Amino acid sequence: MQNRTLETGVGLFLLAGILALLLLALRVSGLSASTTNDSYKLYANFDNIAGLTVRAKVTMAGVTIGKVTAIDLDHDTFTGRVTMEVNKKVNNLPSDSTASILTAGLLGEKYVGISVGGDEQLLKDGGTIHDTQSSLVLEDLIGKFLLNTVNKDAK
Amino acid sequence: MSADNAYAVELKGVSFKRGTRSIFNNVDIHIPRGKVTGIMGPSGSGKTTLLRLMGAQLRPSSGEVWVNGQNLPKLSRSDLFDARKQMGVLFQSGALFTDLDVFENVAFPLRVHTKLPEDMIRDIVLLKLQAVGLRGAVELMPDELSGGMKRRVALARAIALDPQILMYDEPFVGQDPIAMGVLVRLIRLLNDALGITSVVVSHDLAETASIADYLYVVGDGQVLGQGTPQELMQSDNPRIRQFMTGDPDGPVPFHYPAPDYREDLLGKR
Amino acid sequence: MRRKSLMDRVRLMGRSAIDIVAVLGRSGIFLVHALLGRGGIGGGFQLLVRQLYSVGVMSLAIIVVSGVFIGMVLALQGFSILAQYGSEQAVGQMVALTLLRELGPVVTALLFAGRAGSALTAEIGNMKSTEQLSSLEMIGVDPLKYIAAPRLWAGFISLPVLALIFSVVGIWGGSWVAVDWLGVYEGSFWANMQNSVSFPNDVINGVIKSVVFAFVVTWIAVFQGYDCEPTSEGISRATTKTVVYASLAVLGLDFIMTALMFGDF
Repeated sequence: MQNRTLETGVGLFLLAGILALLLLALRVSGLSASTTNDSYKLYANFDNIAGLTVRAKVTMAGVTIGKVTAIDLDHDTFTGRVTMEVNKKVNNLPSDSTASILTAGLLGEKYVGISVGGDEQLLKDGGTIHDTQSSLVLEDLIGKFLLNTVNKDAK
Repeated sequence: MSADNAYAVELKGVSFKRGTRSIFNNVDIHIPRGKVTGIMGPSGSGKTTLLRLMGAQLRPSSGEVWVNGQNLPKLSRSDLFDARKQMGVLFQSGALFTDLDVFENVAFPLRVHTKLPEDMIRDIVLLKLQAVGLRGAVELMPDELSGGMKRRVALARAIALDPQILMYDEPFVGQDPIAMGVLVRLIRLLNDALGITSVVVSHDLAETASIADYLYVVGDGQVLGQGTPQELMQSDNPRIRQFMTGDPDGPVPFHYPAPDYREDLLGKR
Repeated sequence: MRRKSLMDRVRLMGRSAIDIVAVLGRSGIFLVHALLGRGGIGGGFQLLVRQLYSVGVMSLAIIVVSGVFIGMVLALQGFSILAQYGSEQAVGQMVALTLLRELGPVVTALLFAGRAGSALTAEIGNMKSTEQLSSLEMIGVDPLKYIAAPRLWAGFISLPVLALIFSVVGIWGGSWVAVDWLGVYEGSFWANMQNSVSFPNDVINGVIKSVVFAFVVTWIAVFQGYDCEPTSEGISRATTKTVVYASLAVLGLDFIMTALMFGDF
């Protein structure tokens, strides 16, 4: 009957709406439900994390292997404590690996880059990367540069 | 129930204003039960307004509208909708629901107000359509019908719930003689066969006079006269005379009020 | 023509102000009666489905086509500007945020007012002028319940759904232009987008916006049809009013909501 096509049409319409919301959630805003299962946690303390945000990517040799899930201040050491979730497949990181905060392009987003160390021991779930390199703060750099020129002039 | 059971509809001292303009002033109309009553008057005399007052679609500024012993303006919104089930109205344009076919149009009041099984609804609808001679048109859509047929379908819909009072708003306007004859016969037939009270609002003198048992003539916001058609024909009230005989000039002047003709043409600019 | 004295003008202004307040009051009462009045009649669900079809599904084509084109234009414009700063991979983030926060809800609401809103007004106005509404009343059916309520609900439901579809289709159109045509690296296109779009802040706020727009646009459209003068002239005037009032209301409300949601003052 005619009612039938009407109802099917409306049903498809509403389904399309739900599908759209799902797409926006998963594909566009990168909300994913399955991150906890196949990843493990790593921590790293940085002197300055300026500019790094939650959900920034974690890379190794340019390949994204995880993302930043939380950033807070370490109560005792006054350093920025970054929590990362790293893909389970990458389970062979040496414990003396280095984490550094890098910038994509001159003004691009900040992300965490990990470079491999040489230790036999591997980082486990909940482990901490001790060797860190802080974010490059442009203002400091310019400040240093200016100071140098001033010093040169003084001479 | 009202004390006077001989009347199905009574308007007592009804006044109605639209904005500041007064349409009706202290009108009394009594519609006798089981008869065909005609309400006549020139165009623009507010006949349709009168019908809407009886159906309580409009609220009078003052006065009472009694229908079957209920004073309509005093009823709550939901009681009003219940009270209207006793009334059927045939609107000027028919007012069929354009997205429903003929069958569904007639079935509509039944579906809304009753919980009858589908086959019984079908029987009632076909019965009503047979009464107006359109049983063969059940599957047509309203825009496939002629004007006269639309009105007959609307009539079938109006009597679907077997109302006690049927109101006709200008049923003869824009109809060819055959359709007009059919409608005249139907109104009389339904009135006598079903024992309902009919109110016909019209300015078509001959047709209305031929079926009405009693006539009201309205104009200037008042009831100008009332009586059987014969009585009104012999009335010596000049306004009623003019309306009944159709004189172009009389108490209702041919000319709209204007400054003096000669002066307007030849006078100084 | 006599020149109007100052008093006359003041009086005229006062009267039109009172008229505006009266219309507001009337439309408010209308809405309350339609949505909250005594229980609906049987078959209310069927009525809603029918209206969802004519209000929502029938608007789908214009929404999808406009969405694709707007997404494509956004990507083109964004690319040419961002490329100057060497950050053309941010085009995905720009397209997505613009669509989700602003253009999705707003453009959908404007198109909806033009397509479905005007049709609602004309349909109801036509029912009024052919005495179908009066006829319903006399059959003992409240036209507010039978005609107005299902249309209002259909509008409330359809517009947010359409806005979501608009955004998705727009983002897809943008990715098509940026990735397949202009050669932005696909990975960074999506990654940038996912990094900057937050589900609760951007997607949900956009949905909230379109829910508010749906409410206002449908209310205006249905009320204008219901309140119009029952002549063909009156219907066409009411249709124009629907589109004008609804568009202005959408743009005004958008500013207020944007300030509340995204402006950190």
